Amino acid sequence: MVSGDSEKIKSWERLFEAGLKVTAHNQAEDAKYYPLRKQFRPPAPNIAKASLKRDFEVGLVYYVGDDVEQDRALCGLDKKPPTAHVFKEALERKRKILEESGIMKELGFDKKKGLFKY
Amino acid sequence: MPAKMPWAEKATFLVSRHLGIDFDYMKETVCCVRPGVWKPLNPDWWLTLTSQNLATAEKQNITIVDSCNGCYISHWECLQELKEDPEKLEMVNRNLEKAGLKVTLNVEVKHFLQVLYEDVGIEKIKENVVNPLNIRIMRHIGCHARKHDERFPRYFDEIMRATGAEIVDTPYDKTCCGLLLYFGDPNASVFNRIGVKMQTAKELDIDAYALICSGCYDQFERAVKIYKDEKGIVFETPIVHFSELLALSFGYKPEDFGMMYCRPIPPTKLMQKLKEGK
Repeated sequence: MVSGDSEKIKSWERLFEAGLKVTAHNQAEDAKYYPLRKQFRPPAPNIAKASLKRDFEVGLVYYVGDDVEQDRALCGLDKKPPTAHVFKEALERKRKILEESGIMKELGFDKKKGLFKY
Repeated sequence: MPAKMPWAEKATFLVSRHLGIDFDYMKETVCCVRPGVWKPLNPDWWLTLTSQNLATAEKQNITIVDSCNGCYISHWECLQELKEDPEKLEMVNRNLEKAGLKVTLNVEVKHFLQVLYEDVGIEKIKENVVNPLNIRIMRHIGCHARKHDERFPRYFDEIMRATGAEIVDTPYDKTCCGLLLYFGDPNASVFNRIGVKMQTAKELDIDAYALICSGCYDQFERAVKIYKDEKGIVFETPIVHFSELLALSFGYKPEDFGMMYCRPIPPTKLMQKLKEGK
């Protein structure tokens, strides 16, 4: 298989769909009702949105769920990884930086709703 | 690494303490932040967010040591850029100030390979090998470990050879895992990068891939699942971290660091081979 093949990778599609789910205004969907409305490039691509949302909310782009915690315990480590999952103050500082430096605003992320505007 | 390969995290600690390195988790740390995601969005945002860890390390008077190439390159390049560009340093500190932090550039960032080779030394590593590994491995050093020419790849090879492992050279040793390409072109990322390496390992019948970067591991794991679930192709070469092999050569058992829980390909055959000493 070579680059450019039209065959879709399902896990990539799921990640893309996850990005769309955290987007308040899906431009492709809106275009059906407002065909003359000009579409624009959103501040964050759909494929990256789920990772970014996790980064804002837990301070790590990677998922850490029960399965990961179980693996960690089996390996003789603390269940919770030594990341922002346990360092809540560090996460608060990160959120403050994201908020007050204007990054959240420019990305159009509404932290209360957990959604990107576009 | 803590989210993807805890067996490697445990092995890294075993090896480090075995060699007398004063090594511990960095407190109050956040994600590095993943440069492949943040840098293309806006380099200034990446600089600002990565600087949080630099400022925290400065405050704690510690050296940042990364095993993951992605974390290393994010911290190291951020520090270099701030050293070279006073305007960027000012911008970053303006943003960090809001969280009570400041970067004064009084911090060092090192790769784990660098600590092992430059600070501990290859002779001391060789002295600690009590269980030479009679296995054939394919190396995957990762692109970001090639930042400083061939220095880190040479450290990787010398340390791996010190464990007794035979490194099989292939034409794809320098091929990128494709992780950073995944968002933009998933087909090329999986089938033209990592897939080529996995196919080569299968043909050469090697015992394991040895890697050091957890970002590359993430891509291996993803590709193994995609091939299996979407193509019905099964790969059986286990993906092991450099520290796991080092720990085994120092006399630790797989159960000491949870090697048997390694995903996505259990290293059962490899552990059996090592046990039998074949």
